[in-house]
Amino acid sequence: MGASVQNSIPRRDPALVMRLSRLGSMHQCRLSFMRVLTRRLANENWSFARPVFDVDAKGVGHAVYTATGPARTYSLVAFAHDLPPEERSDRVIATAWDATFTLFDGVPTADDIERLSHNIPYQEAGRVNEKSLSVSRANRSVRLWKHMVDALAIGEQPDVDKVASVGYLMRTTAVYGSGKLGAADHETIADRPEFDAPFQVEMLSVFLTRAFVRDMINHMARARGGAQAAELALDIAHGLGIGNSTGLGMAPFLINHPVLLNNWVAAREEAIARVRSLNTAQEAEANLFRSLFARVQVLVETWRSEHPVQIKKLVALKADLEKVEAYLGGDDLTANSPWDRLLNWTSAALSEEGQELIASLILEPYGELVDDLSPAMSDHRPDASRILGTMSVKATRNLMRAGYAQALETDWSAQENCARAWYVSEEKLEPRLGERFEEPIAEYEQPLSPGRDVALAFADLKTWDDDALVSEFLMNHPEHRHSIRRVQINACAPYSEIQDNTICADMMPIDMLRYKLATFGATHFDPRSDRWLRICMFGNAPYPEELTPENADLWVYPDAEGNL
Amino acid sequence: MSYALNEVEALAKRAVRGAGMSWGTAEEAAKATRWLCRNGIDGAGVLSALLDHNQGKTEQDLRPAETSGVWRAVDDAQLCALLAGAALSDGALKLKEASITMQRLSFPALLLPFMASAAAQLNCVLVLECDAGSASTDGNLLGLSNDALLQATSADVVIRIGDLTGNILSQVSRAQPAPEAWDTLNTYAHKTYAPATEASRLAGAGAGLSDND
Repeated sequence: MGASVQNSIPRRDPALVMRLSRLGSMHQCRLSFMRVLTRRLANENWSFARPVFDVDAKGVGHAVYTATGPARTYSLVAFAHDLPPEERSDRVIATAWDATFTLFDGVPTADDIERLSHNIPYQEAGRVNEKSLSVSRANRSVRLWKHMVDALAIGEQPDVDKVASVGYLMRTTAVYGSGKLGAADHETIADRPEFDAPFQVEMLSVFLTRAFVRDMINHMARARGGAQAAELALDIAHGLGIGNSTGLGMAPFLINHPVLLNNWVAAREEAIARVRSLNTAQEAEANLFRSLFARVQVLVETWRSEHPVQIKKLVALKADLEKVEAYLGGDDLTANSPWDRLLNWTSAALSEEGQELIASLILEPYGELVDDLSPAMSDHRPDASRILGTMSVKATRNLMRAGYAQALETDWSAQENCARAWYVSEEKLEPRLGERFEEPIAEYEQPLSPGRDVALAFADLKTWDDDALVSEFLMNHPEHRHSIRRVQINACAPYSEIQDNTICADMMPIDMLRYKLATFGATHFDPRSDRWLRICMFGNAPYPEELTPENADLWVYPDAEGNL
Repeated sequence: MSYALNEVEALAKRAVRGAGMSWGTAEEAAKATRWLCRNGIDGAGVLSALLDHNQGKTEQDLRPAETSGVWRAVDDAQLCALLAGAALSDGALKLKEASITMQRLSFPALLLPFMASAAAQLNCVLVLECDAGSASTDGNLLGLSNDALLQATSADVVIRIGDLTGNILSQVSRAQPAPEAWDTLNTYAHKTYAPATEASRLAGAGAGLSDND
């Protein structure tokens, strides 16, 4: 990451930031991937069209949505299905969905559509080629879908409270990119400026999916109500995002991509450090912060969850926001390092939810100072996984002590500290988490407990001379190779490791899912269990054809009237 | 059928683990297989043959046990290209001082990606020579004297600093693995998947709530 700005305040300590409870309290910010996308689409004046919408009265057919930028056109090819309720499942193990999609590189021909129609609806059971950049699927919110079609078909608008209580008409249940199912490898498109930041293909796909879903609900209402049907009012449509159901697959992703995890966290930490380092703030900057603080309260008010852990966190967050309001009443935020003072105060006064929300919010007035960090969130170092064999055993041990203190202090022989094991089920290769001492899964364990594995390597290193080379150690102990690799990556990527036990009895996988989804830009985290989460993406965003530089950035914060 | 290189890498990693090797070796093998495929060689084919060949042996049987002179496995058994390759990349600096000779190296084609890793670290071209032919790489491109080297199942090889020579292979963005090799890798990978049980189906992914809401 470029260190072009000299910060007087350093980035926060990885030992503070990389704890599961804090990662599980993360909020979207300016660098979130959805916002990076909408800013670029608006600033580059991308144009959008719907050249095909061929869907029958039952809601079966296909549609094509195009997005054209300075150099290239991408097309969302959407297939709409009539799904019986008994087949509706958000799990990886599902085999049918309400709608299925691919983001196509270019504009598909009739032959392409024909080929895709035999593959995309089957998702993992189909194949695509390098013209597909992503493959995804979505299910309806049955309740809201029915209510909206019923209302619109008789010429009425849906109940706004019902709309707000769900927040989306369809939720995606997987968005596959980077070579999955035969799609193009990320490397083949990584040199395109529009894909500088991570997950831009997936975010574009979801952004266009939201327009398709809006068009589908209007289409279905017209199909039933004919001339009597009403068009969905724009202000209600804005309130609809795309939901997402996320299961355990995202947790292994974070652990399996340590450089990427580091770059995501480091970019936000660098942005926070830059803003904290400002000695003064302009009145306009302070005012923008205050107005967005008021709007984020609206966002939190509409955040609902039935999960006891999240309910408790929301209560604390709402209390936090009241404290912040009082703080802002006594500080004009313009002098004496206002942002650093504010964050220092939050670290003592607020819950982690509140601390991270404010840490994200102080970035908002400073796009010019921090937005250049988003390309650095990609992994530009494919050789980071190469082991430096000339490192001494002593230096390796020191790195372990510095970066894995929590793991080295853990008693790994205690059952509660290794109660779980991550594994992949043969059933559609669904990632799962099991009880090591109750289920026959240990022999299938995935390497998703870096702390324990580093502790094992540390124990075997004890008998080696300080001056021996790690290459010699690894020749004798190939079983520690993955751990030594991680330790060396961590030495130059300090936010690459979750500094917590990822297999203990009370670990909450949703903390990892929450972090990844917040980095995407999601809101309204609603855990369905300790390992399963629903969220909302692009809620309150402009639709593609409405996008302008003025509304492309701050849409995530609704005003009191719910306007853009 | 063509496959994304990410698919090759993901399957290779699971297959090598399924064949009983450690996760770190599996990661190396996955990147190596991808590197061969990017250079237009059916890496999946070589890897599946190597895994078949390694059956019944542990990493301790297959690893370099002696590297002070000629590299050998324990008891002069065949040396596994994955483990020898990882050690070659880790100890790349040694090649600055002298060439390295490996005795009874199985599937020398799978050593080439590791030689490329060493070449990239040394910022030079490395050459591999054996009875079947020679190969050279600057870390990225691969030159071959002939295709026989790719078919060799065992060879005594010498690796040294040299020049990029022979037929330079064109790089590709898709893999075209032989179907039977792909099936073999899937069979090995399958050994890493836990058999589905009703209990794990319900609890393991935290389901239980209806999605028809």
